[in-house]
Amino acid sequence: MPTVDRVEEHVTCLGCGCACDDIDISIHAGRIVDAGRACALGAAWFGDGSAPDRSLVDGLDAGVDASLAAIAELLRRARHPLIFLAPGTSCEVQRLVVGLADLCRAALDNVSSSTVFHSLLASQEIGRATATLGEVRNRADTVVMWDVDAARYPRLAERYAIEPIGLDVPNGRHGRRVISVTVRANTWPGADHHVPVPPGDEVAAVEVLAALLTGTTPRTGEGPAWAVASGLADLLLQGRYVAVLSDAEPSARTAGPPPASGRGAALWRLSQALNDRTRGAVIALRAGGNRTGAESVMTAHAGYPMAVDFAGGAPRYRPHDGTASTWLSRGEVDAALVVGDASALGPDLLARISPAASAVIGPGATAGPLAKGRAAIDTARAGVHESGTALRLDEVPLPLRGFLSGPPSAVDLLAQLTALIR
Amino acid sequence: MTDALRLVGGRVYDPANGLDGVVADVCVEGGRIVATVPDTARRIDVGGMVVMPGGVDIHSHVAGASVNAARRLLPEEHAADAEPAPALAPGEPRARSGSGGTVPTTFTTGYRYAGLGYTTVFDAAVAPLYARTSHAELDDTPIVDAGFYVLVGNDAYLWQLIRTGDRARAQHYVAWLLSAAGGYALKVVNPGGVEMWKRGHRGRIGLDDPLGSDSLTPRAILDTLCDAAEALRLPHATHIHCNDLGLAGNVATTLATMQALSGRRAHFTHIQFHAYAAAADGRRMSGARDLVEYINQHPEVSADVGQVMFGPATTLTADGVVEYLLYKSSGRKWVNSDIELETGCGIVPHAYRERQAVAALQWVVGLELFLLAADPWRVVLSTDHPNGGSFMAYPELMRLLMDRAYRDECLKRVNATLLQGSALADGLSREYTLNEIAIVTRAGPARLLGLKHKGQLGVGADADITVYMPNPDQSVMFATPRFVIKSGIVVVEEGQLRRAPSGRRLHVRPAHDRTIEAPLRSFFERHATVSFDNYPVGALRDDPVPTT
Repeated sequence: MPTVDRVEEHVTCLGCGCACDDIDISIHAGRIVDAGRACALGAAWFGDGSAPDRSLVDGLDAGVDASLAAIAELLRRARHPLIFLAPGTSCEVQRLVVGLADLCRAALDNVSSSTVFHSLLASQEIGRATATLGEVRNRADTVVMWDVDAARYPRLAERYAIEPIGLDVPNGRHGRRVISVTVRANTWPGADHHVPVPPGDEVAAVEVLAALLTGTTPRTGEGPAWAVASGLADLLLQGRYVAVLSDAEPSARTAGPPPASGRGAALWRLSQALNDRTRGAVIALRAGGNRTGAESVMTAHAGYPMAVDFAGGAPRYRPHDGTASTWLSRGEVDAALVVGDASALGPDLLARISPAASAVIGPGATAGPLAKGRAAIDTARAGVHESGTALRLDEVPLPLRGFLSGPPSAVDLLAQLTALIR
Repeated sequence: MTDALRLVGGRVYDPANGLDGVVADVCVEGGRIVATVPDTARRIDVGGMVVMPGGVDIHSHVAGASVNAARRLLPEEHAADAEPAPALAPGEPRARSGSGGTVPTTFTTGYRYAGLGYTTVFDAAVAPLYARTSHAELDDTPIVDAGFYVLVGNDAYLWQLIRTGDRARAQHYVAWLLSAAGGYALKVVNPGGVEMWKRGHRGRIGLDDPLGSDSLTPRAILDTLCDAAEALRLPHATHIHCNDLGLAGNVATTLATMQALSGRRAHFTHIQFHAYAAAADGRRMSGARDLVEYINQHPEVSADVGQVMFGPATTLTADGVVEYLLYKSSGRKWVNSDIELETGCGIVPHAYRERQAVAALQWVVGLELFLLAADPWRVVLSTDHPNGGSFMAYPELMRLLMDRAYRDECLKRVNATLLQGSALADGLSREYTLNEIAIVTRAGPARLLGLKHKGQLGVGADADITVYMPNPDQSVMFATPRFVIKSGIVVVEEGQLRRAPSGRRLHVRPAHDRTIEAPLRSFFERHATVSFDNYPVGALRDDPVPTT
């Protein structure tokens, strides 16, 4: 164990959407030397706390003020800019970014339009029955891991879903029935029941299951989906409280075909169906970097969680008219500012952003994929160098603390940029 | 813009100070009402106009995770009501655009409240786990001073304390909880029923039904919370959403709850939804007479009405089972969210229509409660926004209270199926005066909230003032104030929103016995998914409202 100068306790990790806030960060010589209780994703997210601290104009070192001026110029000159809220931003930054987009009459989007698009739209059309992770911990006696890759949520079992002793689950793991439904992911280790579902039958299986749970007639006739669903229905109806945990961003994985567009709608219908003869919820698992915060803040300010356009002077929801990626490819937007960690953006989106008309402000900006654009400014990483708030995947807000000195505050930079444009 | 100001020659309705339409000047300096100002002060001629304190909304849902879940559910409403940024005065920071509908976005909420002359708003239901989100949203809700009530009473830790008979520790726990969340008052929703819904219970729960333990009942929860509010000298009484919301015959439950707390200060919220008798065939009918009679005779009881207004609404409550039942009966979209260790949340969009028998009954019951109430200081105005309708419907509601002819015309159009025995259907001639409107929308709520500097225009009060141009159609008058002054700043001038300063946060920070923290910390370590040290929201920008 290396020498430790100090330990920061109860630190929030944004390595995945679970946002565990029990991490003990050991610091020596201004660097993180240990992230106690963190999983591999968390350890990677914290790293050693070092971060690039540069600002570039056209790929060359420039002062922060010059870089901000270049970004302001880019936005001012644009006919219709795109502002993209990438992961890795605090809610405080997100609040400023929505204000900036409003000011610039920009198009505004976040990664949800490429990762959870169909699921999000379905939740707006149907609703959803969901729960916070602590409800799973304290109440769920039946836990379904619906195509969840354990490696993507390493502490899910230990901290939230399977192992913990809960108020209504006093025997912890022994008081829970764990069902692993496998579509594309590896089966959940140690589950009591393993249910493989061919990818092509997933949506039908969920729809039939929902129908069986509510006692209605499924639209799908007998077949593989029916067999899967009827077996599952019997198990779920034995539960007092059924938590179905489903990876809402399975397309982030490389293996297997992307899920059908109807998957999200089917799962939300299932979530509601769980509540007629038992109680239950579907919890949509999300990746890291405060993605839920971006949706939440956009909703609070604009009324919509993604794909917003301020071009007309008021927010307009455009999910059916393309999202950031299509707006770029159609030339509807002629400049792009990415705020946050650009390396978390998908290759499709990155490929469509023209370096000559783009800029990035965020942690690691000058070492990331958009560093060669018009301007790039490294910022503090919220939760390491800068304080703020992040939302867990269930929207529970958690404090982020800055415990190391680092690059300039993202909040300050966004406030300065807004003032420049005003 | 906090310079001295004299409003000259208006008719002043300031019930807290006994002014009922008296022609007088109102002077402002340093954000407060003052006795006089120098002759050089700005003068605004409000001759012939009506001057009242700024409106105070005692019960609304405007800021937080549950409200935001409703916003997210309503893209179609927002698309139909896009709101460009208001054009503020030169030199003011640019305002923000947003979306309206029954659940507007944060900035739009602030602008629209101020545009109606409301300057103080309370969100009535915030799970302490989500308190940070509510503070962030209130930070982005300009102009109005605002706070929220903390949901308590279905929380696992309080239940443990009640089960073990440790009422003293419960009092300190709720003090800690209020401080941790930065809340203003205690709010209990369907005591016991929210947790029982999470356990799968869908039926009624009586006041004395055991909740898994003989010592734990809805009555014990209510006793504990009302006693705690008294002992902690909280400025507002415990804010109670009774059991059995919406059900036929629930007026008996509401009356039993009031009787259970007899002699103790208690605020009963959206009582319209809790004032239904049951007809012989089991259908709902008005129970307003019995409920109002009790309230009239018991000065310790206060209430807000929760009026239903015809048109779109969004039902949004911690009372999850209510929303489940509404979802099943309406087939509309439905959100349920179970919130660990604390509470729940349900959301179903809704519309109240004149031709619907139940909606008509609800509309009638609310008006009966207003019109039969002997003491407007204790029965104040709300629509339980957005549950009974938007706060934007307040002006229309004021007209219904003030204009019998208009009200009777409206009554003719509604479905009368469930109106047998209704006092309103039998004919209620009362018309609210401007003074009474000032009481139910300003002076009364401020007094019930313990906000000594609000809801009145005496020297030293907050300079929150609304000036209306009289109009034969009172809904026009109340929808379009000529001037609104908030903390001495003229935010609405000549009917236009011109300034949008930040409002203050209204919260309390009652002291608690620090020895309760060790077992509480232990509880967190065993069951919570948020660290004990990360749970409190920490220091807030504004000082707490004193509790003594």
